[in-house]
Amino acid sequence: MSEVTMPRLSDTMEEGTIARWLKHAGDEVKKGDILAEIETDKATMDLEAYEAGTLEQILVQEGETVPIGQAVAIIGSGTSGVGYLSPRQDSRLIAPATPAPAPAPTSTSAPSPSPADVGASAKLAERVSIPRPSPQRSEAERVSILRPTENQPPIAPAPTDGSGARALKVSPLARRMAEEHSIDLRQVQGTGPGGRIVRDDIEDYLVQRPPTKAPTAPAAPGPAAPPQEVPAAAPAVTAQVSTPDMEVSTLSRMQATIARRLAESKQTIPHFYVSSEVDMTDLLAMRQTFNASADEDGVKVSVNDLIVKACALALEKFPEVNSSFKDGQFVRYKYIHVGIAVDIPSGLVVPVIHDANVKGVRSIARESKVLIEKARNNKLSQADLDGGTFSVSNLGMMDVTEFIAVINPPQAAILAVASTRKRFVPTDGQPATRDLMSMTMSADHRILYGATVARFLQEVKRLLQNPYSLLG
Amino acid sequence: MMAEITYRQALHDTLREELLRDENVFLLGEEIGTFEGSYKITAGLLKEFGPKRVVDTPICENGFVGMATGAAMLGLRPIVEIMTINFIVLAMDEIVNHAAKIYYMFGGQCPIPLVIRTPGGGGQQLAATHSQNLEVWFAHVPGLKVVAPSTPADAKGMLRTAVRDNNPVIFLENLALYNTKGEVPNGDYMVPFGQAKVTKEGADLTVISYSRMSAMALDVARRLEQENKLSVEVVDVRSLRPLDRETIVNSVKKTNRAIIFEEDWRSFGVGAEIAATLQEEAFDFLDAPIKRVASVEVPLPYSKPLERAALTGAKQLMEAIDELKPRRRR
Repeated sequence: MSEVTMPRLSDTMEEGTIARWLKHAGDEVKKGDILAEIETDKATMDLEAYEAGTLEQILVQEGETVPIGQAVAIIGSGTSGVGYLSPRQDSRLIAPATPAPAPAPTSTSAPSPSPADVGASAKLAERVSIPRPSPQRSEAERVSILRPTENQPPIAPAPTDGSGARALKVSPLARRMAEEHSIDLRQVQGTGPGGRIVRDDIEDYLVQRPPTKAPTAPAAPGPAAPPQEVPAAAPAVTAQVSTPDMEVSTLSRMQATIARRLAESKQTIPHFYVSSEVDMTDLLAMRQTFNASADEDGVKVSVNDLIVKACALALEKFPEVNSSFKDGQFVRYKYIHVGIAVDIPSGLVVPVIHDANVKGVRSIARESKVLIEKARNNKLSQADLDGGTFSVSNLGMMDVTEFIAVINPPQAAILAVASTRKRFVPTDGQPATRDLMSMTMSADHRILYGATVARFLQEVKRLLQNPYSLLG
Repeated sequence: MMAEITYRQALHDTLREELLRDENVFLLGEEIGTFEGSYKITAGLLKEFGPKRVVDTPICENGFVGMATGAAMLGLRPIVEIMTINFIVLAMDEIVNHAAKIYYMFGGQCPIPLVIRTPGGGGQQLAATHSQNLEVWFAHVPGLKVVAPSTPADAKGMLRTAVRDNNPVIFLENLALYNTKGEVPNGDYMVPFGQAKVTKEGADLTVISYSRMSAMALDVARRLEQENKLSVEVVDVRSLRPLDRETIVNSVKKTNRAIIFEEDWRSFGVGAEIAATLQEEAFDFLDAPIKRVASVEVPLPYSKPLERAALTGAKQLMEAIDELKPRRRR
């Protein structure tokens, strides 16, 4: 038998919720069958069976949330009872010895000679011939296979011991060390039995992390030096309850992640803002011509697609903007992946147009259409969400004069795009009607400076005002 | 000056020296005189000290332990030999209800300077009723002291302390230790009770043990050190009651990982007590659950292969070390 564990589906994923079981206890499963849908902080994904057998037991019910690495189900031959699910003894190699509370185990389960059993020698003889369970489960047994497999980091090892503990497993020593070093234990990969975080793991984490500042100064957010719990943000609070005057509901997983990550962003990244106004008249005209020339089923290019392209080209020219502040270092990405903020019911997602600088505007348009559609149907895969190096947030369709956005870590900047409005602009001493659009860039002042961002914005503006350069 | 002698010799010499030192000291037990003891600890002592100091008793443990308790009440310092700990069961009332209680229940009028020496342990194909480790029964009882030395030097130093202690002492020996050799200091040295000994320093994990398993743990630890595999610290508890919690706790605070290695049965054993102590006093220092390596909970079989399978030993300890060791060496 083997455990199916909660897979790690993204860099930021710490736990997942079983949205729905598609198979039920007792069902035969084939390799590749979808067992369940898992809701992560970002998307809903399928959990596939990695071996054939019988789904003997579901350990985590629908709606329940467990940390990555924890067993969620057991697949076996279908012949075992459920008795083996009792927590394994630590020293099963030595002598099970504690009288089993359950009735007589079958011959295939671990024999537990009862002291009261006078026929002990016979039992013992049986014991002697029974091969011991290997203390280390093979990697193949532990690894679950997931469907959206691109960009999968190694899956967390370590099924739990089957006791169904919800809490993160941490040795007391590791817990104390984490407190002393202000480490968020959820960011630490446990390598002890059942995924327990032990001293070695904390020490590894400390080595990878930059030298600590004061314990109250959390490290920079980023995949490798992940966001810390901000102490001030987590006072002990009593849970609110609904009253006739107000309704209290818990955050969805996605909302909780948004809340956490954006709070971290705003509290740890020194944001600064640079605004500019762009004359979009020519671009709108070009777009109209361009779209008019599209086939019946040809995709229409949106203003936002053109802005994405403009940003991608500007990022090529200003690679410092296409970067992260990570572990006290300046990381410049050699690829340009532009995230587009998409409004979805009760949340916000930022799917990514990969390599936007080398894609034509029609490709970008086609992709963004698909991504937005997927986002609204909650079908984004991890690959759709991973790897953004810059983001564009566009509220232009909602009659917004201007606004500023919060940086999406670990990125260093985000462009907030407001509505395009007709304005009188002095042209040769005469008022002319032009389409003006206001945009504001939020940037991480640890690695970006006013002049850099201003130059970047100038370039974006230049591209948008010379729209045919976007078609190159 | 050190001399290398056997555990048996150390006990013998100490008994003889104590008989010489204090005329109130006398020995009694089954077959200890004419037959010179089932395990020859008392060889030659009847001849040297005569039947008033070395008393052969009938096969009647409750009788002669009661008698020894009475003698201790009147100021003598009896040293009882119970042939093996398995027979001590017959004298439980005398030990638990009398020897352990009289000083407390009668206003401290008379201490009970009684020593009961007895070997425990299995592995000699003596079957279920002759192979037990029952020390925890006594370690559980206030009013008794229970000690279990693992080396000739400690056997000597602790037997001296036992004889000179004014409380009833269960002095636990082990059949498989009698022939082991070790260096013993000269002179009238004593090993105080309630002091565990770090017999080997180490950094990766601690093995806590007593009596024969302690000697075995030391062998295993030395081997792992020699092979440069792991640095195991070994703590020989030596004294079960009083228990030196401080030394045990300090060792685990250093290594963060602990195995308790004991020949008795696992449930309610010495390991249970030590593990409980560790979680009480060193919780924040533990990096892994405390492991207990003990014998299989069955009446010990006579058959050699089955006996071997049931008793714990170096192999089981090695397996536990392998499971518990940290990913990286310290």
